[in-house]
Amino acid sequence: MKEKILIIEDDFTIQTQLKTLLSGNGYEVFAVTDFSQTIEQLKEAAPHLVILDIKLPWNNGFEICSQIRTFSDIPIVFVTSSNTDMDELNSIMLGGDAFITKPYNPAILLAKIAALLKKAYRSPQTEIYMWKEATLHLESSMIEYKGQKAELTKNELKILYYLFKNAGKICSRNDIVDFLWDNQLYVDDNALSVNITRIRDKLAAIGLVDFIKTKHRQGYTL
Amino acid sequence: MSGKQYLKNQLPVILINLLGMLALALFLIASDNPIQTVLFILAVWSIVLVLSLLAFYFSRKKYLNKLLNMTEQLEERYLLPEIMQVPERADEQVFYQIMKMAEKSMLERIGEVQRERREYKEYIEQWIHEVKTPITAMKLLCENNRSPFSREVLAELENINQYTEQALYYARSEHAEKDYSVREVNLCDVVHSAIADNKYLLRQSNMTIQIDDIETKVYTDEKWVRFILNQIIGNAIKYHAEQPILHFGATKTNDKIVLSISDNGIGIPKSDLPRIFEKGFTGQNGRTGKNSTGIGLYLCKRLCDQLGIGLTAYSENRGTTISLIFQMNDFIIGVQG
Repeated sequence: MKEKILIIEDDFTIQTQLKTLLSGNGYEVFAVTDFSQTIEQLKEAAPHLVILDIKLPWNNGFEICSQIRTFSDIPIVFVTSSNTDMDELNSIMLGGDAFITKPYNPAILLAKIAALLKKAYRSPQTEIYMWKEATLHLESSMIEYKGQKAELTKNELKILYYLFKNAGKICSRNDIVDFLWDNQLYVDDNALSVNITRIRDKLAAIGLVDFIKTKHRQGYTL
Repeated sequence: MSGKQYLKNQLPVILINLLGMLALALFLIASDNPIQTVLFILAVWSIVLVLSLLAFYFSRKKYLNKLLNMTEQLEERYLLPEIMQVPERADEQVFYQIMKMAEKSMLERIGEVQRERREYKEYIEQWIHEVKTPITAMKLLCENNRSPFSREVLAELENINQYTEQALYYARSEHAEKDYSVREVNLCDVVHSAIADNKYLLRQSNMTIQIDDIETKVYTDEKWVRFILNQIIGNAIKYHAEQPILHFGATKTNDKIVLSISDNGIGIPKSDLPRIFEKGFTGQNGRTGKNSTGIGLYLCKRLCDQLGIGLTAYSENRGTTISLIFQMNDFIIGVQG
């Protein structure tokens, strides 16, 4: 089941781009279109999480937040361009779950959303990814193939995680490095090559030969 | 009050007295008084005159010195008429009135300037918040349409964001106390978020990032420290050399935690080092082509002073190390137990 996210943001470009970003990451996304009917639209959409701007036409975000809190406990993420302590304090006092300032890093926003959804709904989904009989165990940092297992380092796990998530697609070296940086692993281009070589060695040891393919001048693919 | 000037001002009085003495002497001699009597009377007159002049001089001097001291002790000297006694002499009262008028117009002017400044500051803050919306929109647009081109735009956007933040913190640095909340902050988290703020710029300059184990807690305001780190990282990118490395390390002693940010960039000449935190100082690096405003480090220093963080810079030939020194005072250690 896809989790539903409601965007309450009056800037049209940000609204559509957020929609693209979130739906690209596997969420079902709605946006409020008529700000005089925010609460009605919210009740209708029944989202799992709300992304709420503070400066809005009709009612501001704080008012909307306290209105939502009268009937629902869904996670609310405040996004705002003002980063004063007063606003942050206000948002927490009124029941906001997170406070993110613009311009936000999309990776950080996605991580916050995922964490809040996990906390609120405790999806029992175990962190396992599968592709062509190979299984990636995120929690134990292992890769399994036909009963044989190999342990992975932090970097190797994250690289494989990215490849598994985008399995079948071509992942450019730049995108992989970007993803690693978003996960606080500051790997450069050379180190990426080293890591890929090591992963291939480990995969070969458990019988997975040519699992990661190199697409010349484009990147890697599973 | 100078004695000479006083004497000069009293010249008419002295002259009138001398004239009186002369007239009296002539009159007394004409009315057949013995010369001794005349001299005696003249001597007494002179003594009385001199004594009265002296007494008058010293009493004035005392009064005026008191006033002078009072003024010197005042922080806002134009407010003197508010605390001084209303003078008794007719001419002084006029001066007092003039001072009052001057004070009033001064206060009005100050009020006006302060209001203008506040309005301007509010406008700047508002403008910055507004400009962040299109920056965010552009950022999302680029992230959703990844290409080598969008990466370049993202790097430039990071620059734009740095500049707007700088303007915002410059406007706020005056009243920092109104906008900070000291909390327990994980040093590691702040460093990571500062790196994330500069991700594309760092990647563009091929910076290698090294982070020691800096998993330690300090008590400070997170967004201010993040801003300071952003400025320092920005400098490391701007003044980088071949195969740039940026290193973060932390050392902990009894009462303080030192976060050091070192790069292997072009460094700062020894002669410039003592002045890098001055406002508008660009130094040799600023003159040799790099676009330098002399605001970044000045702001860092100013914010650090207000947050009670020590800020030092060290550079020998190549590379620069900037250290942030967080004090751990007894109170905090006591609370931590």
